[in-house]
Amino acid sequence: MTPDMFFLLTSLLFSIGLVGLISRRNLFVVYMSIELMLSSVNLLLATFSKVLGDASGSVIALLIIAVIAAEAAIFLAMIVHIYRENRTIDSDDFDKLKEGNSNA
Amino acid sequence: MIEQLLLAMPMAIVVIGAFVLMLLSHSRRIKLDRLNIVAVFFLIISFIMQYYTLGNHTGTFLLENVFNESFILDDFATIFDLMFTAGAILTLLINNDYFKSRQYFSGEYFALILFSVFGMMMLSHANELVTVFIALEIASISVYALVGYHKNNKISSEAMMKYMVLGSMTGVFFMLGTALIYGAVGSTSLTQIATYVSSNSIEDMTMLIVGSTFIMITIMFKIGAVPFHSWVVDVYHGAPYPITMFMASTFKIAIFAIALRLFIVNFGSINSFWTEILQVITILTLLGGSWLAIRQTLVKRMLAGSSIVHSGYLLIAISSIGLGSELAAPAIMFYLIAYFLSSVGAFGILSFIASQSTKQMHYEDFKGFASRRPYMAIMMSIFMLSLAGFPSTIGFLGKFYIFTSAIESGQILLAGLGILTAFISVYYYFKLIAMMYFYESDKPQKKFPFDISTILIVVMALLIIWGGIGTSLIPFIPGADGFIEIAKQAISSLK
Repeated sequence: MTPDMFFLLTSLLFSIGLVGLISRRNLFVVYMSIELMLSSVNLLLATFSKVLGDASGSVIALLIIAVIAAEAAIFLAMIVHIYRENRTIDSDDFDKLKEGNSNA
Repeated sequence: MIEQLLLAMPMAIVVIGAFVLMLLSHSRRIKLDRLNIVAVFFLIISFIMQYYTLGNHTGTFLLENVFNESFILDDFATIFDLMFTAGAILTLLINNDYFKSRQYFSGEYFALILFSVFGMMMLSHANELVTVFIALEIASISVYALVGYHKNNKISSEAMMKYMVLGSMTGVFFMLGTALIYGAVGSTSLTQIATYVSSNSIEDMTMLIVGSTFIMITIMFKIGAVPFHSWVVDVYHGAPYPITMFMASTFKIAIFAIALRLFIVNFGSINSFWTEILQVITILTLLGGSWLAIRQTLVKRMLAGSSIVHSGYLLIAISSIGLGSELAAPAIMFYLIAYFLSSVGAFGILSFIASQSTKQMHYEDFKGFASRRPYMAIMMSIFMLSLAGFPSTIGFLGKFYIFTSAIESGQILLAGLGILTAFISVYYYFKLIAMMYFYESDKPQKKFPFDISTILIVVMALLIIWGGIGTSLIPFIPGADGFIEIAKQAISSLK
């Protein structure tokens, strides 16, 4: 396969992630969309690493996986916490932050 | 080797402090103000060590045989480090009353603040795009957790959710930009990117320009420039007061640290590509931020809206850098100091008042504040005057340098618009002063409470006045314009 196919796949995955992030309301799906976008970036890095014949791209991809894990930890904890408090993870139901809501 | 380790100490001490605080926070017997003292102790040691490394290590890499060229040591980074640690120390000390009045604070709060400061220090020292990303994530993830710190409050969790979803998305954009730049240059080191940028013509660098535009989007998001501003007011509203203060002052400075490094060192020769984009963003930010700030009735939301306007002033200077103004970069550093002093003071007074009630403060709640607490009202007025850029405060000098740099680079329109929004800002800042002074209060006057937080607020107010007039009126006392010389030296250490 040529690198062009990988670039195409990367942009497809990134676009699917971005559309999912914008259009879906379930927080789990939003989270999965962000992960998909980051994974597509990883694929892009790995492809560049192969094209340039330079290992550092793959190493960066490994580092990014660690960062993704850290983000997953706090994101999933937040979803659980939000579900406990509101009994919903539909992002449309979160509209309390506006003018005139005055409990600190 | 030993000397290199010594240079790494300011960062290391902060992260060691964070881990020590995490261990200590496990014990419920240690009171919160003890933990606060421990956190401030670590930060002060770090502050002192940074102060002594200032000025004698320019352009060397930290532990080069371990980290390669990931971390750079220069005056620029050290000055920003001094600001971060000072900001964290002030945030911790001024809010001493606040977190004692709230049940939900626990020991992890201090550890998270220290982790966040460590991330910011990494950010100002970073000389490599992946390091920048990791530092940004360390700082942001700590701040996400801090925003949602009020566990039993729905608006706090909601603010955390909004900030986290949008923040992670821009993190992805940053990484995409880094990947594209890596594809173009073959390396993510800022030094090599700078060589690549200066040795190619702008037509051959499409991929690099697209990548760096993605990085710029992340920076614009984090400082709250207008097309990317939708989170700012809500998140500042939902977060507890100490965190709002920390985000508004310290975190914003951290983003400018990396923005300046990228704009001056790396993308210096392709700045012309962004000039028009930046100008449009600046105009939108100034007008949109003013519109947001005018509409609010909560003081906290007003300050959030006005922080967008302040980002707009800083963006004026960033586009002046692209047009070759020498004064612009030091002006940004000076303005950051001025904004830092004023906003820490204003949020400090808000959190002091909030520590005695659980209500959010509307403008109406300040009616008759001057007769109840005359000294607090005077200091609040000083902070508001400084934020509005009134002469004889440090905020005026900051705006003066920014507009000078804009005129120097020929951006008359932007300078005029900046002055116009400064006039508009008088409306929402002086509304608070009018509320405090023009209404009577039936409650009796309260005594001035002597406490570490109130004393620090007084010190901030005095610093603002000293920065504004001390330079020309009082002989033999070094003034604030000495700082602009230090900033110029720091900027020259970048190149």
